[in-house]
Amino acid sequence: MTDTGDAARLSGPDTKAWFLAFADRISRGADDLTDLDRRAGDGDFGWNIDTSLGRARSALDGIDAAHPAEVFKTVSDTFLASGGTSGPLFGLWFGRVAHGPEAPWTVADLASVFDTATAAVQRLGGAQVGQKTMVDAMVPAVQALAGSATDGWREALGEAAEAAHAGAESTGGMVARKGRASYLGERAADVVDPGALSIAWFFASAADV
Amino acid sequence: MGGHVMNARENLVRQALEGLEVSDGDLVRLHRDPDFVTRADPARDKVALVSGGGSGHEPLHTGFVGRGMLDAAVPGDVFASPNALQVRAAIEAADTGRGTVLVIKNYTGDVLNFNIAADLLSKTHTVETVLVDDDLATRSEDEGGPGRRGTAAVVVTEKVCGAAAEAGAPVERVRDLGREVVSRSATLGMSFQAPVNPLTGLRSFELEEGEIEFGVGIHGERGIETRPAAEAADLVESLTSPLVESLGLGRGAPVLAVVNGLGATHGLELSVAALELRRCLEGQGLRLERTLVGPYVTSLDMKGVSITLTALNDELAELWDAPVLTTALR
Repeated sequence: MTDTGDAARLSGPDTKAWFLAFADRISRGADDLTDLDRRAGDGDFGWNIDTSLGRARSALDGIDAAHPAEVFKTVSDTFLASGGTSGPLFGLWFGRVAHGPEAPWTVADLASVFDTATAAVQRLGGAQVGQKTMVDAMVPAVQALAGSATDGWREALGEAAEAAHAGAESTGGMVARKGRASYLGERAADVVDPGALSIAWFFASAADV
Repeated sequence: MGGHVMNARENLVRQALEGLEVSDGDLVRLHRDPDFVTRADPARDKVALVSGGGSGHEPLHTGFVGRGMLDAAVPGDVFASPNALQVRAAIEAADTGRGTVLVIKNYTGDVLNFNIAADLLSKTHTVETVLVDDDLATRSEDEGGPGRRGTAAVVVTEKVCGAAAEAGAPVERVRDLGREVVSRSATLGMSFQAPVNPLTGLRSFELEEGEIEFGVGIHGERGIETRPAAEAADLVESLTSPLVESLGLGRGAPVLAVVNGLGATHGLELSVAALELRRCLEGQGLRLERTLVGPYVTSLDMKGVSITLTALNDELAELWDAPVLTTALR
């Protein structure tokens, strides 16, 4: 049975709507992401994430969305099926978030699941803050969620989005040490990391639910 | 598609897996979407052993699925890692409740996807990993670098771990034995001619007449040095001596060797290599106690050979000798 949730608890259908808004945001911005990646990496980032979310859109059509965990698991699988490095790491992140409670999530649940998921990405991806990767947006978002004084999931995710955005912007001044951008070093220092920007867009998409 | 037995490129790996069921359906079974191979008659109560990696190295890894070795193998596309969904599905299929050991060759994509699969199952499964990084031609000392490549020592690792698992060893013990094999093994390879990738039709590098490439891996990449061709005795010596030195093998040390064909070098020549290897080892006072000779970890149709040495002890020798029934090793 689907628990519809409320202002304090994020429900499965809310989560599904959040991902559909994220998929729309990525579709609109895929060319921009690809352009960033062309300047700092190998140029396939926007297309890859758009393709994974396209598959996620179809997969989400077929589920009950009884709770957020089910939605995150479904989206995770579509990313895990992709090659390269970013896709599997997004898949890991969403997949670890899916280990959360099988019921609507409070702000405390959100803080907890994104914390463990981000730790898993850091551990297996081997990236720390300041290395021009998606981690530069994930970590501030986790801190914002953990420090949030609000009981409403919309407000808390809004704070996470702001923090993630600032983190993504900060990658525009970093020299990459991990991932494809590390091959370019200083030459790509002024380019914002497309993975970090996508994380910021992900949290911001919750506002469209 | 001149020169290759294949239909549409995108079907190459799947069709090869389907063909494996035709030739060896009594031993292996193909699972589809996501694709992986398990034993036709799965074990019921033992630690599961799962490996995998890019295709193009056959018979690795699918050829080592069976009693005494792997429970499941996960093939990627040619020279590309399988994805984490495939690996996760293979672990779920193989695990009998006693835990799973993953044998991973050290390549960025394999390491990432196998570890992601293990991590995502951490709530429900016990998954341990063995990282195989035996290729002496690649550097291990770079801080934060990718480290040494994984090559033919993976066969020794899978054999030893498989025998231990079959004998009822717990998951930590199977893992530790695998790590011990890796720490006691080193490999060097050389090539007379680079492979042609059937997906692109391109030969990955060119050598002049009378040249060989020394220190090659198993993905058609160049080695560490282009050298003049030499007779078998000198070739084998140039591969073997650095291994003996790196493993710190002293006089009288018992050794297991894999004389591995890299795809297009004939069994006739591999036997000559085995003969020269024994001569070389005995010349240094070492005891060649076990050998495996043949094309086991190939690099498509590369002409060349690799030599792997493993410093043996009684326990490893016993596990090496244990019965095995797979399509490639029995």
